[in-house]
Amino acid sequence: MRNTILFILAFFVFVDFTTGQQTDSTKVYKKKVLENAEVDLLMSLYNQDGVHSPVNGGIGTEKLVDGTPTITISIPLSDDDVLTVDAGISAYTSASSSNINPFRSTPVYLKGASLTNTVTTLTGASRGGGTVVVPTPNQTIVGYVPIGTPWLASTGASHADKNKAVHADISHSSDSRNFIVGSNVSYSKEYDYTSYGFGGNLTGLFNEKNTEIGLKGSVYLDTWKPLYPTELREYMDYGAATFQSQGYFNGVKILNQSGVQTTAYMPSAFKPWDSKGRNSYTLSFFASQILSQKLQVALFFDLVMQEGMLSTPYQRMYFADKPNYYIGSASDISIYTSPLNEHVYQLADDIERLPTSRYKLPIGVRMNYYINEMFVLRSYYRYYIDNWGLKANTVNLDLPVKLNQLFSVTPSVRWYDQSQADYFGPFETHLSTEKYYTSDYDLSKFTSMQYSMALNYTSITNSFHIGSLGLKNFNLKYSYYDRNDGLKANIFSVGVKFVNNY
Amino acid sequence: MKKKFLAVICLFVFLTSCVSVKEYKKIYLNDPDMKLSANQNERFENNFQVYREGASGANSGKTGGGCGCN
Repeated sequence: MRNTILFILAFFVFVDFTTGQQTDSTKVYKKKVLENAEVDLLMSLYNQDGVHSPVNGGIGTEKLVDGTPTITISIPLSDDDVLTVDAGISAYTSASSSNINPFRSTPVYLKGASLTNTVTTLTGASRGGGTVVVPTPNQTIVGYVPIGTPWLASTGASHADKNKAVHADISHSSDSRNFIVGSNVSYSKEYDYTSYGFGGNLTGLFNEKNTEIGLKGSVYLDTWKPLYPTELREYMDYGAATFQSQGYFNGVKILNQSGVQTTAYMPSAFKPWDSKGRNSYTLSFFASQILSQKLQVALFFDLVMQEGMLSTPYQRMYFADKPNYYIGSASDISIYTSPLNEHVYQLADDIERLPTSRYKLPIGVRMNYYINEMFVLRSYYRYYIDNWGLKANTVNLDLPVKLNQLFSVTPSVRWYDQSQADYFGPFETHLSTEKYYTSDYDLSKFTSMQYSMALNYTSITNSFHIGSLGLKNFNLKYSYYDRNDGLKANIFSVGVKFVNNY
Repeated sequence: MKKKFLAVICLFVFLTSCVSVKEYKKIYLNDPDMKLSANQNERFENNFQVYREGASGANSGKTGGGCGCN
């Protein structure tokens, strides 16, 4: 409710700012900040896989496929004002979200026509989905049992989702074009997460526009709809005394480390969240300086504070000092952490627990040098530190090569290195006595490399038209991302910019 | 850390005293590849890097909002 009120207030400030600019126009001729409306159509396809899924406590498939079409429209409201609206949908399938419920049904057969039994109808919906195998003529299904594995994404309801996002930004430039003020609002929504954002920015240009200094503030007010792993949700819903005899666990065998059926599984460490908010506050400082006719540099500095539920409610934890319990085939327990395990899944002891506040301090420097008419060197370095004990360095180099007046290609390389956060531990290494714990490898120590190649076409005359829109720019980019903990990703993006010529 | 940060600030103040380049001499600086912000098609990469890495920010990109849990 508080988030909604704040968002409405921000919206009115935004609208007031928009209408307030009407009185600031002058009669003298000024070159428009944006001559014509522009439309950007963007699309990205992303896929990844790895072996350290946090939803399985740090092991298992990290397979994810995401497609994101986006449209950005910039409209000149007056000589001084520009409104930019950006909307996109990110549609994804993810092993992490699908394995909130990792179980799928598998039939149990008896061979021989004379052995007939009533089929136990444990449907896919309640058992995590999955394909039911049709028996051959000499087999009879006598029941279904749930099995799972961290090495395969289940096909339950949560395996796919969409993130819908919209962002509106308005900026106003002074008559001298040396000062720019702006404000923005944003909204994004996926099944279990909603975000409202707003912010403002102020930019000044000095020294014959050789020096630029900017300040920006952003607030994001987010709300979780927490989804817990299936076994912990059942424990929460039915209570310790009866959860193994009701709901999902009714009739399901739970095995101990020796593969023997037991009722000892009791995830008493698990407590559902008592709060669902996550807020982020960012103050950004930006300064740039022209150093020569071919060299310019910029400094970026952010101060980020986050508070609230900074952990993820469906990321499982397995404690080293607690016995292990499983659902599925006893024969696969001995190879549980191997991708050869196809039929058994370990029940969680808890979900990850992280502090409710985090302070981030990233500092970045970008330096671009115009080498000659063919080459430009773009460089970027960032140092990052936060109060979770994580430090990181990032280096990015781009070398745009102009093939002719219309086409250029840009090879890029990016190196990234981070230390381990204080609360990270690999699969089943944390102790139940610890206050904070996670097995999310995004917070582990690792180094990553990213290699990219982009092709860019820029039209000088905007001669290709679709209606009143003339093509201004077209670009394709492919990047390969390689993290030394086994995560690999490919991202392909395409962008087209049109300009309204009328 | 504090000393490094102060050194960067001092360097930047020093650099601002450099020679001023007139508008009509900014033909190279106005090249689209010379802009001091991330390119439009880098926004998607920036998004997944924010999700897959512990560090974020200081690149004109998004610093909050959205989950990125998958």
